[in-house]
Amino acid sequence: MNGMKNGGIGGRDELGRDMELAGLLSALDPAQQDPNYWFRFRSWVVESAGPELARRRLMAELTVVDVMSSWARAVLPTAVLAAAFAGLLLVRGAGPAPAPIGVEEMLVSDVEGETIPAALDARGPGATVVFASEVF
Amino acid sequence: MSSSTSDTPTDGELVQRARRGDELAFGKLVGRYQRAAYAVALSVTSRHEDAEDAAQESFLVALRRLDECRSPDRFAGWLMTIVRNRSRNLVRRESLRETDQISPIARSGVPTPDRVFETTELRGKLQKALQQLPEVQQQIVMLHDVEGWKHREIAERLDLPAGTVRSHLHFARKALRVALGGDPGESELKRKAQ
Repeated sequence: MNGMKNGGIGGRDELGRDMELAGLLSALDPAQQDPNYWFRFRSWVVESAGPELARRRLMAELTVVDVMSSWARAVLPTAVLAAAFAGLLLVRGAGPAPAPIGVEEMLVSDVEGETIPAALDARGPGATVVFASEVF
Repeated sequence: MSSSTSDTPTDGELVQRARRGDELAFGKLVGRYQRAAYAVALSVTSRHEDAEDAAQESFLVALRRLDECRSPDRFAGWLMTIVRNRSRNLVRRESLRETDQISPIARSGVPTPDRVFETTELRGKLQKALQQLPEVQQQIVMLHDVEGWKHREIAERLDLPAGTVRSHLHFARKALRVALGGDPGESELKRKAQ
């Protein structure tokens, strides 16, 4: 199909091709009946490849800065919105500060029955040592 | 075809440029291997229309997957693998549909009725003879005797040992001669092919 040379029947060319067979098989070349066949073949392929080639050109033209800026364009507004929303939640959630809880109250808050301060009150300051030995 | 002068870019150079979307480079690759792709596809499909479709689709698939071509200088072999696979898939699909064969001339040119008959007859006989060969032998004889590829190039691009290529070529030629020689119209075939 390509570069047929004028070899004799049954002869070989410099590439070692069997020119007799090559001559016969060349009948399978579509260009034998349509000289423009291969031109049209290539045109069709290249035209069909247009979108993919365009995509590749676009990708090749993109620099690191372009990629970063396109990333920033998408991410920055989202981050700003998220920050604003978080700020709003903080402002709305800020009420009067709870009354400070003493350490003793925290220690006995879930203890049923008599609380430690009550026990201490009942026995007086001298009972502190007894309380500590019972607890620990 | 991949070795070149400064005027003729190598396959590797063309592949690199095509990866960046260079239409001219891709067009050169298509022009360089369209005949070989068609010949390989024809050896699998045995039908002009199918071979044409498979070869054209293969170039588009190759472009989409161009980044997967690990050795751009060996583009031809990589492409031929795609062509074979696409052609086999197409044959599998076609065998399910079993559509009637359309004359190869249906899409091309406007030759005279006599010429149409002669060429169609000749093509039919050649294809029948070729179909008696194993697929790989069809490819080798077409790529060597028609496309002019060297043994080494065929071996590299079809991923075969060079000795195997020579051996296949020898047996393919012998079988073709028997197939065509047994036909009383052989001399007529030769005349028509001139």
